[in-house]
Amino acid sequence: MKNSIKVERARHDMTQADLAEKIGVSRQSINAIEKGKYVPSTILALKIAKLFKLSVEEIFQLDPED
Amino acid sequence: MKTNNLLSNKYKRIGWVLFTLGLISGLVLMFLNFEVSILEVNVLSIYSDTIFNSESDGFFKIVENSIADELSALCIIAGGIMVGFSKEKVEDEFISKLRTDSLVWAIIVNYIILALAIIFVYDMTFFNVLVFNMFTPLLFYIFRFNYLKSKA
Repeated sequence: MKNSIKVERARHDMTQADLAEKIGVSRQSINAIEKGKYVPSTILALKIAKLFKLSVEEIFQLDPED
Repeated sequence: MKTNNLLSNKYKRIGWVLFTLGLISGLVLMFLNFEVSILEVNVLSIYSDTIFNSESDGFFKIVENSIADELSALCIIAGGIMVGFSKEKVEDEFISKLRTDSLVWAIIVNYIILALAIIFVYDMTFFNVLVFNMFTPLLFYIFRFNYLKSKA
């Protein structure tokens, strides 16, 4: 799964720690999600999308391998 | 996210203290071959079947024993549980995944090493392997979890 969290973070001028704090997870989680090492739960994906005022599909997209 | 069966984060620090004390004292005792006569007290032995001292054999006997190694082992267990299973400052779903991954890794590595020891280690030296093996699952888990967390 691909995601554009890093881009959205840059657009909102947020660090990984800022985003982590806003949605109540650890900074390691945001880092692992951005690197594609961890696929977040639906709840977490919805929270991230809501924070950036986007739909989930605009942030998370399926990879051809998925 | 709700995670069950984990201790509060405040136990982590005391856990590290107990765990370190237990490991150091345990290694010292092992180095001395457990031949120390400090802290000798009478203890209740539920069952004993010794080779040399037959008067303490049988069920529910009071025997004299140095409790240094017992204390050290309990410190490692209590400290290790506190270190390994108290919550992180932010305990989320990714951390839970790290916990599961680390546990699986620790159990597999532990038994691979034990299997190798069964094949290649014999006699009383194997007794030492068993002593180590009482604590290695917890030890491997703690190392692996903290390694994965620091890498993430």
